[in-house]
Amino acid sequence: MVWEGLAATIELLIFPGIIFILWLSLLYEWLDRKFYAKLQNRYGPLHTGAKGCCQPFADFVKLLSKEDITPMAVDRVLFTLTPILLLGLSLTALFYVPMVPILRNEAFAAFDGDLIYVIFLLTMIVVVKFLGAWASTNRFSAIGGMRLLFQLIGYEIPLAVALLTPALATGSLNISKIAQTVGSNIVLAIALLPVLAIAIICFQAELERVPFDIPEAEQEIVAGWLTEFSGRKLALIRLSFDVELVLASTLVAALFLGGPYSPAIPYIPVQVSYFLWFLFKATIVLLVLSNIRTLYARLRIDQMVHFAWKNLTIIGLLEIILVEALLAGGII
Amino acid sequence: MSAEPKTAYEIPVGPQHPALKEPILLMFKVDGDTIVDVWPRIYTHRGIEKATESRNYIQNIYLCERVCGICSFIHTLIYSQGVEQLLGVEAPPRARYIRVIIAELERLHSHTLWVGVAAHELGFDTLFYYVWRDREVIMDLLELISGNRVNYAMNSVGGVRRDISPETADKIRKGMKIVKERMDVYADVLLKERTIRKRVVDVGKLSPHRAVDLCAAGPTLRMTGVKRDVRADDPYQAYDEIPFNVITYSTCDVLAQVLVRVGEVYESISIINYALDHMPSGPIRVKVPMAVPPNETVSRGEAPRGELFYYVKSNGTDKPERVKIRTPTHANIPAVCEMLIGYHIADIPIIFAGIDPCMSCTARCAFIDVDKNKKWIWNHEKLRRYGIKWYGKV
Repeated sequence: MVWEGLAATIELLIFPGIIFILWLSLLYEWLDRKFYAKLQNRYGPLHTGAKGCCQPFADFVKLLSKEDITPMAVDRVLFTLTPILLLGLSLTALFYVPMVPILRNEAFAAFDGDLIYVIFLLTMIVVVKFLGAWASTNRFSAIGGMRLLFQLIGYEIPLAVALLTPALATGSLNISKIAQTVGSNIVLAIALLPVLAIAIICFQAELERVPFDIPEAEQEIVAGWLTEFSGRKLALIRLSFDVELVLASTLVAALFLGGPYSPAIPYIPVQVSYFLWFLFKATIVLLVLSNIRTLYARLRIDQMVHFAWKNLTIIGLLEIILVEALLAGGII
Repeated sequence: MSAEPKTAYEIPVGPQHPALKEPILLMFKVDGDTIVDVWPRIYTHRGIEKATESRNYIQNIYLCERVCGICSFIHTLIYSQGVEQLLGVEAPPRARYIRVIIAELERLHSHTLWVGVAAHELGFDTLFYYVWRDREVIMDLLELISGNRVNYAMNSVGGVRRDISPETADKIRKGMKIVKERMDVYADVLLKERTIRKRVVDVGKLSPHRAVDLCAAGPTLRMTGVKRDVRADDPYQAYDEIPFNVITYSTCDVLAQVLVRVGEVYESISIINYALDHMPSGPIRVKVPMAVPPNETVSRGEAPRGELFYYVKSNGTDKPERVKIRTPTHANIPAVCEMLIGYHIADIPIIFAGIDPCMSCTARCAFIDVDKNKKWIWNHEKLRRYGIKWYGKV
């Protein structure tokens, strides 16, 4: 009993819990920045650590030490809560994504129906961002906050459709079980490719990255909804962006590519091979997300909503019909 | 605005704004996401025109070079041309060709810089980095010719200070080939990339009549289809001997501005190649006296952003009595304020960047009293008196 409790605590706090996730998110920020820079014919971070790999951590520490300004007019409670809630929500969502099944063969907080809960958390993250923007009482923040909500209206439905299609196909709402089924069924994974594309595009919008960096478009509205945040608060918000990046990559990897559940690599322990598969797939998704950033100009908010409703939603619904037909035909 | 919407609010853009790192404040009145009114407030005063009066004609070349960092050559060219007119001398033919080559290289680097800035304002940073990387080819050529990247110090009254050797000419030809190849790629991206087209087509419209009424200049005027270019209308230096086209488009939106500038890049490349092939031999400079007889003159030319205009008055000494500079960005600000109205907040950066704003490029003298609805213009003497009175009071 004691040992089980201790193991669960280690799982929650160290591996694959909070510390591992934070380490991975800083690593992914570095990878994202480096890859993005290379595609743009730049160097990216260079000086801190080998090839600049400690730069995100150095930036984090630097921001922590900066002066934390709370303007007079802000709603203090909401303004202070925003960064904490953001980090908390995105970390919580990650507890339901299978990474390294050590003690049991699923994510350590998994339960039936956790997919719905994660979708709820993804929406809550945006709502909290909007509340932070509103509490800032700044004109640029307010415009950014409005854009956040408009963007949410655009991508929320296609994202939910995309994330629920694998659930329909596998008959489960448990992310870990979906990952196990998809990982062992290559035909199903291929059938899910269109929704994989939709999910990646929607996550690009959720993460506010080009071409959907509309809520924080620096050339238009300074820093958008996070204009007034500084110091420790900004550090936590930026960390929560990184955690969201990990969430997006790992969730896509789990739902559409099978996450850690792939054929074991010979000669190494099965857990290690699961871990390597998980890292490999999530990193591929991350690189795709980074690559999209380099390819486009920023859309206007009305163009984004048009695009999401006219294209993404319809393709998503057609894909559901396709998956149902394949299920009825007994192909997947 | 007479019928002001009740939901309207104001947002300030500049001078501390990421899209506009220039000393200008644009106060926008916005209804929802639509711009209903704009008030520009320019506050650049560097006293350059006054400073020219206490320096001699040669020193003033170096002062005029520092009016703007991007079009530094054209300022010295037009200034020297004005002083040459006062003296009644003309630069030797070879110097005139060298001046054309440098002026066009400068236009090339200014326009490629603009393409990068426009891409950045659209959030397309990849294009920005690539364009600016390839702009280095042009900067290196300018450094090869003059020894400097920004302020070339090439002009002198009566000619130029450095010659272009045949080896340098070969290097310029090679460089032009690279620039042309790369520009083909970027023109392709700018015209075909759908996210860019969504942001620039039918955005920032301005009718040709309004453009002429509001005294727009340069590419901002030519994007409305008005064929006006000092190089063709009133050829200076060697432009009357070099064939080239004035690029215009008639879609009157930001896309047309992009196309005009891309077209001008190709024209500049062909002008440079032609000038290198037909460059006459001979001296590059004539000797001129230090003191200039009393006279006044107007000298103008086409800067990358539009018409540049110098008025120089001499009084028989070695210092000018008065130098007046009229620069294109200042002329374009009323036009851009009209272009902005009716579009979205998201369109502000690209429409404003469309005129290639450069606040060092602004002149400063017109009076509008909004409260009394009065406009007037003062001459130099009246303004001076007013200044003395004002500062005497304080």
